[in-house]
Amino acid sequence: MRWAGKDALGAAGVLALLALIPAVTHSDYLIGILTVSLIFGIWAASWDFMSGLTGRENFGHALFIGAGAYTAALLNSKLDLSPWWCLPAGALTAVGFSLIIGFPTLRLRGPYFALAMLAAATIMQRLMRIFWEFTGGEEGIPGLDPLFESHVGTYYFCLFALTVTTAVLLALARSSWGTILRAIRGDEAACQAAGINVTFYKIAALMISAAFAGAGGVLYAHYQEAVTPDVFAVALSITIIIMVYVGGMGSIYGPVAGGIILALLPELLRGLGEYRLWVYSVILMLILFFAPGGLVAPLWRRLTAVAR
Amino acid sequence: MFNILVYGAVTSAVYAMLAVGFTLIFGVARILNLSHGAFYGLGAYAAYVLTAKLHWPLLPAAVFSVLFVAAFGALVERFLVRPLRASALAVLMITLAVALLFEQGMFILFGSEARNVPAFSTATWTYSGLDISGQRLLTLAAGFVVLGVLYIFIQRTRLGSAILAISQDPEGAQYMGIPANRMYSLVMALSAGIAATAGVLTAPFLTVQPTMDLLPMVKAFAIVIVGGLGSIPGSILAALLLGYSETIVAYTISPAWTEIVSLIAVLLTLILRPAGLLGTRAAF
Amino acid sequence: MTALLRVEKLTRRFGGLVAVKDVSFELAAGEITGILGPNGAGKTTLFNLLTGFIAMDIGTAAFDGHRLNGRSPHAIVNLGLARTFQLCRPFRGMSVLENVSVGCLAPRVRYSEMVERRARGIIEQVGLGAKADLLVDTLPYGDLRRLEIARALATKPKLLLLDEPFAGLGTNEIEPLSALIRRLHAEEGLTILIIEHKLREFMQLVRRVIAMDFGEIIAIGSPAEIVRHPRVVEAYIGRTEARFGAA
Repeated sequence: MRWAGKDALGAAGVLALLALIPAVTHSDYLIGILTVSLIFGIWAASWDFMSGLTGRENFGHALFIGAGAYTAALLNSKLDLSPWWCLPAGALTAVGFSLIIGFPTLRLRGPYFALAMLAAATIMQRLMRIFWEFTGGEEGIPGLDPLFESHVGTYYFCLFALTVTTAVLLALARSSWGTILRAIRGDEAACQAAGINVTFYKIAALMISAAFAGAGGVLYAHYQEAVTPDVFAVALSITIIIMVYVGGMGSIYGPVAGGIILALLPELLRGLGEYRLWVYSVILMLILFFAPGGLVAPLWRRLTAVAR
Repeated sequence: MFNILVYGAVTSAVYAMLAVGFTLIFGVARILNLSHGAFYGLGAYAAYVLTAKLHWPLLPAAVFSVLFVAAFGALVERFLVRPLRASALAVLMITLAVALLFEQGMFILFGSEARNVPAFSTATWTYSGLDISGQRLLTLAAGFVVLGVLYIFIQRTRLGSAILAISQDPEGAQYMGIPANRMYSLVMALSAGIAATAGVLTAPFLTVQPTMDLLPMVKAFAIVIVGGLGSIPGSILAALLLGYSETIVAYTISPAWTEIVSLIAVLLTLILRPAGLLGTRAAF
Repeated sequence: MTALLRVEKLTRRFGGLVAVKDVSFELAAGEITGILGPNGAGKTTLFNLLTGFIAMDIGTAAFDGHRLNGRSPHAIVNLGLARTFQLCRPFRGMSVLENVSVGCLAPRVRYSEMVERRARGIIEQVGLGAKADLLVDTLPYGDLRRLEIARALATKPKLLLLDEPFAGLGTNEIEPLSALIRRLHAEEGLTILIIEHKLREFMQLVRRVIAMDFGEIIAIGSPAEIVRHPRVVEAYIGRTEARFGAA
């Protein structure tokens, strides 16, 4: 917290850089992949808030993303609701899912919570295929309205959304909430003995995490102008976890950077787009062996410590 | 009715083969191996490559595939899992990385379309209006043989009792001079080999695809949780339960729902049976 | 004399084993009392029952006019009944200050004072002032025992349950910790209930002893009375002479 000044400076720098990109390039392709990478930043930050702080790895974050995306798709395509109403609706649906899944599963530890979340997300993915009359099955729901007519507008809105997400989650993580969530990670029983209502904080953290993930899902659906069952896929959940690992778990800003960088990486290294998951798994292995604390957050801490 | 009985038994045998390996490596080495499904898939792909690309006869191809995957399992344990054993989370993530690399590797090498592996037996028997392929019966028989041999190995051999000793009391076993690390590699090889056997046997009648590893892994996990982590008899019982409930659902509702059955089973067990899963609650 | 804690006919079974059997006692406000008994006498189970970590099925307990049955652990802490654990359970990866702050964040104290100032005050009080900003992972065992007490104090308890506060400490560490507990009792007017094995320190610290064996209370009295009580001598001292001698 002592480096808040430098953190703010760093954040402003990155923000200015991202804000200037549309002024430099007019490539719709580049703006497009940047938009997606910003959405990945939102997802990684929201994953980190719950799982990074409390130590409960969520292998089914796509459950909340998909809930948001499909809510937006159904409301927009069937009821012709404006994307701007879909945004809060999608976030709320995701929060609803977090309550349904959170109460029974949050008392589970480690791999059991991870597996329960993975199972829940996969169940939703299958249900989207089974109820194809309603959800469009494997093809999903196409023809959604975009948030903005111009790609640059969408880009700036996603940048705004990411900034809000990061600011809110970072403020929470650095407040007494963060202290309590990290204490829950350490020892639940000791936390209760210190008078903390552990269940309340765990559920609340999951709800907040789900809300931002769901909102990100809505943005993604309207950016793609379509949804497919893949928004519930295990691969998406895993990708987000790897981004958080690269960024540095529990720091919120690290995973945001990890999300943006990893989402861009396969696109920038031309031709690797198809092998994106392969690249990610290799990166995950390298991180586990050589930088278990992640890359971005430890690097930033070292930089600011030197600049003291 | 008869279909359900036979197909349920075949499905259960496959699940039992997957689950015993998964529970064995957890019981002995406390490794929650998310790459278990990849071992199963790798077995199927190895058989495909040897038979379709290199034109080996089926039997040596099958045997070599199983041995290859067993060796691969031992290598994964030795070089990827062992250095990270201090953190359960890191072990989970590294085995996940292996699973991802398998999926992506197969996708890059062979594409996403389903591949064919020849069957040992192309015979079919017709019994009271039901066609049963020889391959399915063979799978069922192999399931019995594998589980029987495993049981005898653990109960009757010195190596087996060493494995049992480690799973029951790791510290005590170390004092008795049992080399724990070598045992972990061995059990990982064993577990991978059994999974690969299931992969080779089911490849002719199930689809061989890069994403074939996820559901078997989830099912193995589900079975092992229902049956109790580390318990082989429990796993076999739970495999029967899951195998038959899936088959019943496939026949009475729709095959599209079978996968959901196992996923809901996982979720329900995790939710309804927390007592055995809660961990440190009673530890003070 | 009004009772701060009143326990009536508390019984708890685990399977066929009776861990706590028909236990009744009262604590007056401002008392410092010990619970004595050999391993497996049900002392820690009694603590777990009173603090809500194990459900109270049979019997009742009331604290400061509130029934404790059916309350969750954090709710009991927020009534003013705090505990420490027999094994130190610090929040790893966090500083001493953060560890104690968690105790300050319970609802009852959240808005009343500045959290950090209060936490630093408590850390000073237990003698860890110079180490407030260190990671707990770097602390020696003796300091972790103080941290346990600090975290419990942070919840502003009226009654403090200490589960073997001297466990694992060397002889030269016991006296200062014992002095700290005495000071908390004398200066803060804290009511204290201690489980302990180390007889000598214990006997000087407490005014009244509740002796337990096989889940039952076998005697209540002053330390001097208890060490001479025939059932205590038989149950505890007679059976575990080696341990008594070592203490």
